Amino acid sequence: MSNRPHGAGRFRRPALLLALPSLLVLVGIGLVPLVIVTVWSFWSFDPDTYWITPEWTLASYSALFDTGRVPVLVRTTWLALLTAGIATFFAFPAATIIGMMSRPRRAVVLIVLFTIPFFTSALIRAFAWRLVLGRTGIVNEALVGLDIVEQPVEWLLFSNFAVVIGMVAAYLPFAVIPMVLVLGRIEPSVMRASEDLGAGFWTTLRRVVLPLAMPGVIAGFLFVFVVALGTSTEIQLLGGAGDSSIAIMINDVMRVVNFPLAFAIATTVIVFLSVIVILADRVLKLSRMFEDLGT
Amino acid sequence: MKKWTDLNVSSGVALALTRRQLMQRAALGAGALAIGGLGFPRSSFAANEINFWASATLDIEDGWDIFKNESGIDVIFTDNGNDPGPVVAKLAAGNANDIYDVGGLQGGSEKELAKQGLIAPWDLSKIPNYETIWQWARDIPYITYEGKTYGIPAVINADSMIALEDKVGTVDSYAVIFDPKLKGKTAMEDAWINSAIFTAMYLKESENAPIAEPGNLTPDELGIVMEFLIKHKKDGQFRTFWNGWEQGVQLVANEEVWVMTGWEPIVYAARERGIDAYYAAPKEGYEGWGNNTILLKGAVDRGLSDTAHALANALLAGFYGCTLGQLRGYVVPTDNNVAYAEANPDAFDAKAVKELADHVKAKFAGKVYWQNTRPDNFQLYEEWWQKLRNA
Amino acid sequence: MNREATVLRSPFGARLSFNALLTIALLFIYAPAVYLLLASFNPGLQLGLVPPDRFSLTWYVSLAGDRKLLSALGESVIVGAVTAVIATPIGLSAALAFRAMTARRGAFFLFVLFAMFVPGTIQGLGLSVVFKVLAVKPSWFTVVVGHVLWALPFAFTVCLVSLAVVRPHMIAAARDLGAGPWRAFRDVTLPLVRTGIVSSLVFSFLLSFNEYSRAYYLVGRYNTLPLYMFGAMNSGASPTIYALSGAVLLISFALVAVLLLGRRFRIGRSAGRPGNGG
Repeated sequence: MSNRPHGAGRFRRPALLLALPSLLVLVGIGLVPLVIVTVWSFWSFDPDTYWITPEWTLASYSALFDTGRVPVLVRTTWLALLTAGIATFFAFPAATIIGMMSRPRRAVVLIVLFTIPFFTSALIRAFAWRLVLGRTGIVNEALVGLDIVEQPVEWLLFSNFAVVIGMVAAYLPFAVIPMVLVLGRIEPSVMRASEDLGAGFWTTLRRVVLPLAMPGVIAGFLFVFVVALGTSTEIQLLGGAGDSSIAIMINDVMRVVNFPLAFAIATTVIVFLSVIVILADRVLKLSRMFEDLGT
Repeated sequence: MKKWTDLNVSSGVALALTRRQLMQRAALGAGALAIGGLGFPRSSFAANEINFWASATLDIEDGWDIFKNESGIDVIFTDNGNDPGPVVAKLAAGNANDIYDVGGLQGGSEKELAKQGLIAPWDLSKIPNYETIWQWARDIPYITYEGKTYGIPAVINADSMIALEDKVGTVDSYAVIFDPKLKGKTAMEDAWINSAIFTAMYLKESENAPIAEPGNLTPDELGIVMEFLIKHKKDGQFRTFWNGWEQGVQLVANEEVWVMTGWEPIVYAARERGIDAYYAAPKEGYEGWGNNTILLKGAVDRGLSDTAHALANALLAGFYGCTLGQLRGYVVPTDNNVAYAEANPDAFDAKAVKELADHVKAKFAGKVYWQNTRPDNFQLYEEWWQKLRNA
Repeated sequence: MNREATVLRSPFGARLSFNALLTIALLFIYAPAVYLLLASFNPGLQLGLVPPDRFSLTWYVSLAGDRKLLSALGESVIVGAVTAVIATPIGLSAALAFRAMTARRGAFFLFVLFAMFVPGTIQGLGLSVVFKVLAVKPSWFTVVVGHVLWALPFAFTVCLVSLAVVRPHMIAAARDLGAGPWRAFRDVTLPLVRTGIVSSLVFSFLLSFNEYSRAYYLVGRYNTLPLYMFGAMNSGASPTIYALSGAVLLISFALVAVLLLGRRFRIGRSAGRPGNGG
């Protein structure tokens, strides 16, 4: 039998062929505009036309550090990590129930339930949180009505608390879906084997299920992190006075037509995130995790 | 059906029909609204289509159908988000000139758009109604560039504060926004364009800060103003900053804040919802602003220049102004509105229209500082605002 | 594969705590949506709750006649559907390529993922510049192009995760039995990753349906739903937008109910049938 799937060279051409569509998309739609944007980030703002003039300079990048842009990057990243963490924390038990502890019908219903709210506008869902958490909102009315507090609780809204709640509620399904995909595929024989070897539920979960489910968990965390990083809705609607995010900051800068700076910020964000993911890949061996999950 | 004739704003203006009522008016049919040539080019051409890309403040929604019947211009209105940043970006680097014909935007960007050749000057000889625009509106400095007119005032107003009567009484100064007794109960707009001016006005008039023009601050003056704001933000003075109509209305209608700087129609919206709000007349004065129509170069290239001019003219003919006034409480700065209402008494209440116009004129007769999206140091403004955000 | 109910044996405590967390998660996700649903029956103009005796279908009736909103909804549905249908096969092919590669897997993986990290406004603006240079007229299709890029890394990851179930020995067995690569794919791989493909389609649709920043720069004359919503929130929204979200919720719940009832009948009939072999 000479048809070994991993023969050297045997799969190189099919692999290239298979990769072609995505490469075309990524380069054509993704990279080309980015190259333009990056080049423009090294050009100067033209005070005469309020546009860009092809004079090479690092002014935008130094402005990035001088004008308080980095704290926003840091804060947004931190919020996104927090949101992704909390979402993953809730998503894993939910996905375990859906993928491993439910009959098919119930599993489908639950998954559909998790997805439904996403068909409504995220903007007005975030807006609705203002009415739930506000001073005259449902939660406060309940708290005051039940005499748990005397005055409405102010920090429920227009605070980091509200932002995180808004973001987790909005993006949780992103974490659940990949986890369910993986957890639903873990073969029962594996778990029975673990039981036969004397492992209890929690041990099985920790030492057998979790490692097998890792790709789904990582994917879920990554999805929520990425989407939370790029959002502005929840922060603008639920955050304190003038709270900012990367997206809000880029918009602010574009409003004063400082396009080179806006592009510099974007390029920095991309580089920063790429570095993080590359590091995570090295340390956690991410891409290897998605390779054959042979058992 | 609510009629707001018993609304009592500072000068007793009756306003704000609901959308439902506007739809009913449309059902009345154009026949009931036949006018006698109030500046409308009597349609010798078939209904011409034109794409109007503007802030939704300029939208009369179902009223465009009647507008089409009267003027012969079929307006396809698209909301541009009202944020000068993305709008200018889409014009400069994007495809806005390929798909839209006439723009409507907060004033201030006309100069740079003209310099980049993205908009074309209006030929005022094709807009007879231009002469009917109130003089001081025509005199707004940034709508002209190198002697040509690039922006035609579509809507103007003078802003101050919305206040809740039963919570803060009658306020007459912006000091309430910064009053420590109202900590966590005030708000301002999340835009240096407005909030810096209001603060500068207050500091200049009531705290005698060395500020020459609140609408155009020097770097030193800007520092004073922004440090003041940063200090108050750190003290927790502001419940939040608001961004956009629904957010502003929600803050007031749900009594999340008791006083905030903002747009006048928010008061009407709050009252519709049963809140006892009013618009303050502060001694430091008002902040004037305008949304202007601009002629996109793409329209000229596509041969739509004449239709565009016809549109600009028709917006000033009266129907649009009356409708916008009733729908949103905003004023198109021309006396044609009153004339139109008087000629069409079953469509519009001429008295209400006149009261609204007089109300705005009265505000502008007093102390008004003009808003400008491009003060001399506009990029410095944004840097300071970033510092405020980080504080 | 386990199409049968594989219900993991678990102690009561684990069941309870996991179910509790799931319930909490659902509560948080649904809180705003349910609030909007209830508030949409408020005939007044302000978003807020009213006692049930004042419920009214005013805004639902308005919704039926709200041309702008419905056309924006239609635009978004089209863009979302086309995005999903394009992004999923591309994502699947990329996932298959990843698995078939012998070298540089990590680099490819990261390259596909990098499209996630680009801030939306910048990507949209940059892409619109490219379109301008190529003299491509902005329309719903240019939005699709931008959205395919946005959805691709997600589709890729989802397909990759679901491909995990396809063991190389399965393919090898098929090939040994004489199946060509396409046949092996169609008969072995595809059925196994069906859920993954469906997930990818739904995911890509939802990503596109809710996407604002890229769409702003790529849209033609007709705004998508998020653009419409943003404009409405900025300058005066008729409560029909809340009726829309309420309608979506109600229709979805109705579909779920149908799903439940349908399954009920079908399961009774197929009880006792052997599950598919793995």
